[in-house]
Amino acid sequence: MAPAADEAKSGNGGQIQRPFTFNEIVLRNRLTALVVDGDNFCRLLQQGILQAYGLQTQTVDNGDAAVELIASGAKFDLILIDMLLPILDGLEATRRIRAMGVNCKMLGVTAFSGERERQAFLAAGVDLFVEKPLGPEVLIPILRELDGQYPSI
Amino acid sequence: MNQMAIAALKNQYKSFVQSMFDEGVLDNQFSQLQDLQDSSNPNFVDEVITLFCNDAERIITEMNRYLNYQNVDFSKLDSNVHQLKGSSSSIGAHRMKLACVNLQQASYDRNKEECVEAFNSIRHEYCLLRSKFQFLMQIQRRIVALENNQQ
Repeated sequence: MAPAADEAKSGNGGQIQRPFTFNEIVLRNRLTALVVDGDNFCRLLQQGILQAYGLQTQTVDNGDAAVELIASGAKFDLILIDMLLPILDGLEATRRIRAMGVNCKMLGVTAFSGERERQAFLAAGVDLFVEKPLGPEVLIPILRELDGQYPSI
Repeated sequence: MNQMAIAALKNQYKSFVQSMFDEGVLDNQFSQLQDLQDSSNPNFVDEVITLFCNDAERIITEMNRYLNYQNVDFSKLDSNVHQLKGSSSSIGAHRMKLACVNLQQASYDRNKEECVEAFNSIRHEYCLLRSKFQFLMQIQRRIVALENNQQ
């Protein structure tokens, strides 16, 4: 499929604008997350980012393993799932996870950027379609929302 | 004396990273990752860079293999460049990501010649990025060594 035209952007010319930074949130609750990504680097990086916030994070490298893990009873507050996955792709894995009655926040985090992919992933059941990279401007509001769903001590 | 050396190295590190932003080699995502490095996670950037380079080299080697076949398997090439684009974006390797987009387009067009040209560009960008990352990591390690000596 053709890459999106708006990806042909130039460098940022040295001006770094940072409305959010990764380290500006401290969570009150111990949240759990699952990262589903077939790429070793992306999987470990996303795990590292979530762990840096204090989330207890598991990872799997294919859609089938994700479905099996959840079918076994594992529960997560947040699932990050890629679209292109070995064995069972992210779209079908998402459908099966939702079909099990899992209502947790699911982010489709993918290198795809087209509208067709976005619609397909949302239709499969993710709450948000995120083109890689997963940045703090997306993650922080979601973590705050998830953290806020637990009663204050 | 050590304090001065550490400060000088930190400035050197900061300036070098800034130059990489100015050249478009890195984008904001890299600085976001730097923010995650702290005393509880002192080697985070080093580990991320190492992981990225291992992953990228494996993918580049595979793409090179596919492009050397007379009949290129474009679907395998698509899958590899998609993966490299994702990991390049995730570390903030801006020019690598753009080079991947060009290869995606050439692969979509099923044009082997353009794919080879775009792939050579990816390889060039990766070599440049890797050498700059290696330099950064050398400075970082010297900083850590000096700070450890102080304790």
